[in-house]
Amino acid sequence: MTRKINVLLVDDSRTVLAQIERILSEVDDLAIVGMARDGAAAIRMAAESKPDLVLLDIVMPGLDGLSALRTIKSMHPTMEVAMVSSVSGDAQKAEEAFRLGACQVLGKPFDPEIIESLVESVRTSIENRPVEAGDDGEAD
Amino acid sequence: MAVKFFGQFLIDQGEVDASHVREALDLMEDENPTLGEIAVGMEFMTARETVEVSAAQRNRDLPFGDMAVELGFLTSDQLVEVVQQQRTRRLPIGQALVRLGHIPSDRLGTLLDAYKTDQSEYEVGDMDLPDALANHRATKYVLDLLPKFLMRVARMQAKVGEIRDFDGEPDFAEVKVSVPVKGARGLEVALVSDFEFAEALAMAASGISPQDIDPEMVADGVGEFLNVLGGNAVSAVTKEGQRVELGPPDYDATLSDGWTVELAVGTGRAGLVLSVF
Repeated sequence: MTRKINVLLVDDSRTVLAQIERILSEVDDLAIVGMARDGAAAIRMAAESKPDLVLLDIVMPGLDGLSALRTIKSMHPTMEVAMVSSVSGDAQKAEEAFRLGACQVLGKPFDPEIIESLVESVRTSIENRPVEAGDDGEAD
Repeated sequence: MAVKFFGQFLIDQGEVDASHVREALDLMEDENPTLGEIAVGMEFMTARETVEVSAAQRNRDLPFGDMAVELGFLTSDQLVEVVQQQRTRRLPIGQALVRLGHIPSDRLGTLLDAYKTDQSEYEVGDMDLPDALANHRATKYVLDLLPKFLMRVARMQAKVGEIRDFDGEPDFAEVKVSVPVKGARGLEVALVSDFEFAEALAMAASGISPQDIDPEMVADGVGEFLNVLGGNAVSAVTKEGQRVELGPPDYDATLSDGWTVELAVGTGRAGLVLSVF
């Protein structure tokens, strides 16, 4: 049976949230478990809804995406986080995101195929992950 | 579909994964000399001065080179030389991935060619610009990418008119959104349009139906389009070695003196207003 993937979307732009929601609506066995408009809300919702994948904007008012990424990965090491950015071609920013644990940096305009293939790679990675008793992948 | 760096392209193509890129970045960090080490090697700075710069950085969020210039340890020209030297000596990510065994060495050339082809649509050719903007790379990228991204993001055909001096707010300026491209010579990019164009752009970009769209969403859609346009221009300029950053959209932009270009579009009226700061 195919493992359902739960996704949290984080972007200050309603337009971007609508774009990603539309792309993900084409993917089977996937649920959007929440949408946040800033980094602080992303951290809170990641803890509450425990998504498999977070799509996280880099540039946001208040707590930015890279700071939120650092916190989310420290609290939930196995949670996959892909960064979303219009400046993804800026190697310095993209490299920082990878160093902080991002599994991908998605550039804009979005390529639906790349987002769909990201979801499938996260699904495969979760399905192949060894399950140990009492290990939910959470940091203390 | 966007300006990318090579590691991201390789992940998109399924050639490597994020853990491979992270390993390569670690190797690059181990092997690539820091700006300070290069400046000392070029005898522009002393080791003691690099320590002072690092100490000053703990109190202020400023890159090493900018801080060294501010403290008087480097001139701006020397900083340019040091940065160029660092770029020349840098272990490229492709080579790092080959050394780690994540890409076969005989495949790297093919992948680099594919990357160049993928990114070739973001190269800008000759453009007739006013003298004050002739060498302004961000302006060239913004004007070159504008019709491409209107087509890609919103399926809108647009022809960019001639650039001319800004002579006051156009009579169709019902929606005015701008983004700043911050750098040594910053650029304010404002998209000015009537409501008809802005609404069509926002609906096409978001996929939201006419009955669900509201004025805030229209401004947000225009802002997001400018974010994509400005962001890719910034990425392209950064790849050329310049340091620029994109600021957040201003949804009630004040139009400054500069230049303007009108867009020939099928829906409504629109134009860009550019000013250097």
